[in-house]
Amino acid sequence: MDMPVKLSVDKLTKKYNTLEVLRSISAEIHRGEFVSIVGPSGCGKTTFLRIVGGLEKANSGEVRLDGRVLTGPGSDRGFVFQQDNLLPWRTVLDNTEIGPEIGGYRNADQRKKTLKLLKLVGLAGFENYFPRQLSGGMRQRVNLARALAVDPDLLLMDEPFSALDAQTREIMQTELLRIWEEGRKTVLFVTHQIDEAVYLSDRVFVFARRPGCINEIMEIDLPRPRPLSMKRTPEFVAYVDHIWKLIEEDVRASVLEEHA
Amino acid sequence: MADAALTEAQTQPGWGSSLASGLKARAWGLGSIAGGLLIWELISRFLVGNKLFLAAPSQVVVAFIELTRSGELSKHIYISGLEFLLGYSVACILGILLGLAMAQSTSAKQALQPWVSGLYATPTVALAPLFILWFGIGIMSKVVVVAVLVIFPVVINTEAGLRTTSPQLIETVRSFGANARQIFFKVALPSALPFIFAGLKLGIGRGLIGVVVAELFGSRAGLGQLISQSAETFNMPALFAGVTILAAAGIAMTSGFGWLERKLLPWRE
Repeated sequence: MDMPVKLSVDKLTKKYNTLEVLRSISAEIHRGEFVSIVGPSGCGKTTFLRIVGGLEKANSGEVRLDGRVLTGPGSDRGFVFQQDNLLPWRTVLDNTEIGPEIGGYRNADQRKKTLKLLKLVGLAGFENYFPRQLSGGMRQRVNLARALAVDPDLLLMDEPFSALDAQTREIMQTELLRIWEEGRKTVLFVTHQIDEAVYLSDRVFVFARRPGCINEIMEIDLPRPRPLSMKRTPEFVAYVDHIWKLIEEDVRASVLEEHA
Repeated sequence: MADAALTEAQTQPGWGSSLASGLKARAWGLGSIAGGLLIWELISRFLVGNKLFLAAPSQVVVAFIELTRSGELSKHIYISGLEFLLGYSVACILGILLGLAMAQSTSAKQALQPWVSGLYATPTVALAPLFILWFGIGIMSKVVVVAVLVIFPVVINTEAGLRTTSPQLIETVRSFGANARQIFFKVALPSALPFIFAGLKLGIGRGLIGVVVAELFGSRAGLGQLISQSAETFNMPALFAGVTILAAAGIAMTSGFGWLERKLLPWRE
């Protein structure tokens, strides 16, 4: 990667009481890069994302965005939540503009950008719908548009498609790549689905658990744009296989623990 | 893409079918009222046959017209309406403010909770004679009784509504850098509004009971006074006229609130 460093994480450590969730994680993400984090449940991947988003504090270590040390949440990052978390009393348009509204720049200029953004995510014509009138897939599109509306330097996505059915999920993956190609934001994407991570990413951080740490960083050397059919190519399957082997033991351990 | 999105949207029921089903529901309601009135009329005319025990709907209508002509009815309605409106408004404003205070500060909650729970469970309407002793026979005592009855459901619902605000929604606006004031006005308050409305609606029935009971214990005018005076003189048609007006007022205000709720909270089902 010859792009400059966008996000740098240095010796990040997080503990809940005596439980060590993250141990001394260091990583760099370049501008315009799409990075996914995969790992078994309990590996701290969501906690890591939430610390970068400023929603949780680390016990030690630093997160820098464009060289600035991050201390809390801010509109330089857009967070796409696992549940859509739309405000049920706001229409699609009003939900999408919550970030600009909080920042105090919800004006006519912003409105033009928002409408363009809603068109980009495939919601043109649904501006005045309330969340309850939308399907799960459409709500996640609003969730994404809302994060993009603040024009963030870094897009943080926490398993945004995990609540969707398998087909909708695949469509949303292609949609996400299409939208991402438009602006090439830097993306940090958390998922527990290996094929999703490989399909979307330039690099995949494979996390190990107890304590959470980076087991391996994998470059995904597949050409873009990527059609869904790529998921059936031997190269793609080899990546998925390799990552699965890395985390298999951890996944078994976490499954046994959950059922104990 | 727009096509794909369109198929994801919920299909709305057509206008025609919703209109027809609405009419059908209304037809049952209207038929039930008409049938009930008819049975009432027949029982009072042929089974009871004595106006002293049960007045027929037709006799109630006659009493209603007579009371209206003499101007007596409008006087009673005005007095009771004023008592209700003043007591209800004071209770709503104070109740919402107290509910806000209890939701915002744990010390306020700890200080107020025992009083709110205790007094809500107490049949405060039984204290009406006391309030008349303290505040006199005029409208003031009734305003106080109404306010005391209405305030508790409003406080409790406001507090519960604010307290049950989804932490996920709060976190979402926080991720955009929202401060405490923005979190309150953009998330907590709107999400509590349906609860607050429910409290205000509960207050209507309690407030009307407060007006009547307080007037029964001592008053110069008002629907409660009309009812108690009619009972003393065995004027059943006038008594029923008073009761009917109260019932109608209760129904009208509750459905008015329902209408307002649909207007102000269109995002709900």
